Amino acid sequence: MKKKLTKDEIKGRGFKYIGRTAWLWTIPGILIYIIFRWYPVLLSFVVSLQKYQILGKSTFIGLLNFNNLISDPMFFIVFRNTLYYTALSLALVFLPPIFVSILLMEMRRSVIAIMMILWFIPVGSIASVVLWKWFYNTQYGLLNGILVSLGLPTSGWLNDARLTMFCLVLPGLIMYGPGLIYIASIQSIPEEMYEAAELEGAGFWQKIWHITLPRLRPIIAMLLILAIIGNMQMFNQAYIMTGGGPHDVTRTVVMYIYRMAFQRFKFGYATALAVVLFFVLFVLIYLQRKYFKENPDI
Amino acid sequence: MPLIAKVGRKKWKVKFLFIGITIFLWLGVVIHLFPVWWIFSSSLKGNVEIFAFPPTFFPHTPYWGVYKLLIKGASKLLPYPLWIYIKNSVILVVGVILLQVPLSAIIAYTLSKLHRPRWSRILFLFFVGTMFVPSEVSLIPSYLILQNFPFPSRSIPNIPFTNTTFPHINFLNTYWAVILPSMVNAFNVLLFKGYFDTIPNEIINAARLDGSSEIGILRRIILPMSKPIFAVVGYFTFTGIWGSFLWPLIVLNKPDLWPISVTIYKAQETIARLGISARPSSGEIEEIGFLGWNGIMALSVMESIPVIIGFLIFREYLMKGIKLRGFK
Repeated sequence: MKKKLTKDEIKGRGFKYIGRTAWLWTIPGILIYIIFRWYPVLLSFVVSLQKYQILGKSTFIGLLNFNNLISDPMFFIVFRNTLYYTALSLALVFLPPIFVSILLMEMRRSVIAIMMILWFIPVGSIASVVLWKWFYNTQYGLLNGILVSLGLPTSGWLNDARLTMFCLVLPGLIMYGPGLIYIASIQSIPEEMYEAAELEGAGFWQKIWHITLPRLRPIIAMLLILAIIGNMQMFNQAYIMTGGGPHDVTRTVVMYIYRMAFQRFKFGYATALAVVLFFVLFVLIYLQRKYFKENPDI
Repeated sequence: MPLIAKVGRKKWKVKFLFIGITIFLWLGVVIHLFPVWWIFSSSLKGNVEIFAFPPTFFPHTPYWGVYKLLIKGASKLLPYPLWIYIKNSVILVVGVILLQVPLSAIIAYTLSKLHRPRWSRILFLFFVGTMFVPSEVSLIPSYLILQNFPFPSRSIPNIPFTNTTFPHINFLNTYWAVILPSMVNAFNVLLFKGYFDTIPNEIINAARLDGSSEIGILRRIILPMSKPIFAVVGYFTFTGIWGSFLWPLIVLNKPDLWPISVTIYKAQETIARLGISARPSSGEIEEIGFLGWNGIMALSVMESIPVIIGFLIFREYLMKGIKLRGFK
């Protein structure tokens, strides 16, 4: 590997890219990504065009699966539910940690150190879901218990179709937010910027709007994409807490995929649904990238 | 206190704002910590106290019978002792971290420092582009190929000119079914690359001048510099796998293979099936072997403790200042 370096390379002007070693080191990664990612992705397009049979021969049936999807009333219901959940969750779960982190920096240093642990301490993901299922229980749950002891009428919580989706989002708001990441980058904003803004007469909210938020923008943009992808694939909360009910108002796309594939064994149909989800996600991410740029040229 | 104006801090309006923020933040802390406390306290309650109304905030006397019963595996809640499920989760997490984190790091390093820019950009799309096809979207094919890997169905073609079929492996109901697909993680590649991009090329050039081999550079220079990003990626990977639910639910069908997340779900399903009519009015838990929500909460504690420890370690590293970069 020892080789004479040219003058340019020594001065760092022409950095030497070592093609051979690079490829040698990348090949395992390429193979694994092909086998476990790109191959299933391509396969999902193939299977979505098939009447797939796990035992016998699968036959190509063209776009029949997609045709059936469009005439399936549940298709629209699950997408409506999923989009509704995503919107609700972005508003109530994604946004609050950003503002909490910003406000947290107003506290004294010693208070910040304690508070950022207390605010963002997590519990296990399934633990949080089952805990809230217990809280929501209409007969012996804590929430109705509190309502009763206050002399208030009890609520149906998860059984109340108007409330259910909100009930699924609420644990995310209360239990956990990825606030630490925001705090790390707020701390890197130089104090002088705020002082300069103050001299120009910027108030409390103006400083948030003109200094803090623009500085957080790259991270918000990245986490927003992850949040959209994650929320559009919501499964755990609905599957565990409501099972899709009442009256299918919490049945999500991934739940329907799961049911069609692993309970009804209609793999082709379920895969077609997944392909539609992929395109919907693609459009959402495209819109996000277009209208929420990481570094807008101000 | 960067937001609140330095001048005029004594004005009542400014004071009011500060007090308002303080109250809001502490209120949030209380609301957040209450459910966390509830999980811990409920796991220490006996079968009578767990249903007491109004519920007790502190358990009367901490009752360890719930844990004893789960550890012994004698409860009706779970078919196996608790440690089996914890062991499963640990195996999955360790397996994924050992295989996926180094893989992501090496991919990111070659993209950032070794490949020519043109190839780097193409490969970047190849690797990070997978992020836009989330695993749930290709859930079914990923499942199908694991059964007779690498063939997506039970009808396996013969090797040409012979009567024997191509070799194939069934990964379903093995830990590999979770570990192998988890080796692909575009987000981690992105995080690593963002970090490696900030390491100046001159450092690598200087090391090459000193006659260091490429592996030596990686081991002696890059790795020691990259501890924070390894901590971050390790934490994300750990929480992701420890809390994963849908995929293990599909590919691990035997109760002795369930990770702790699936176990909690199955246990609470058992309770829902039995209903509250099965609520025992008296009797020591350890004798009758029946656990209710106290058992579920004890399992939840088991799921939560590693997550909390991970969070505290992660916080230390994060505060040392890592650079999370965007997509470019």
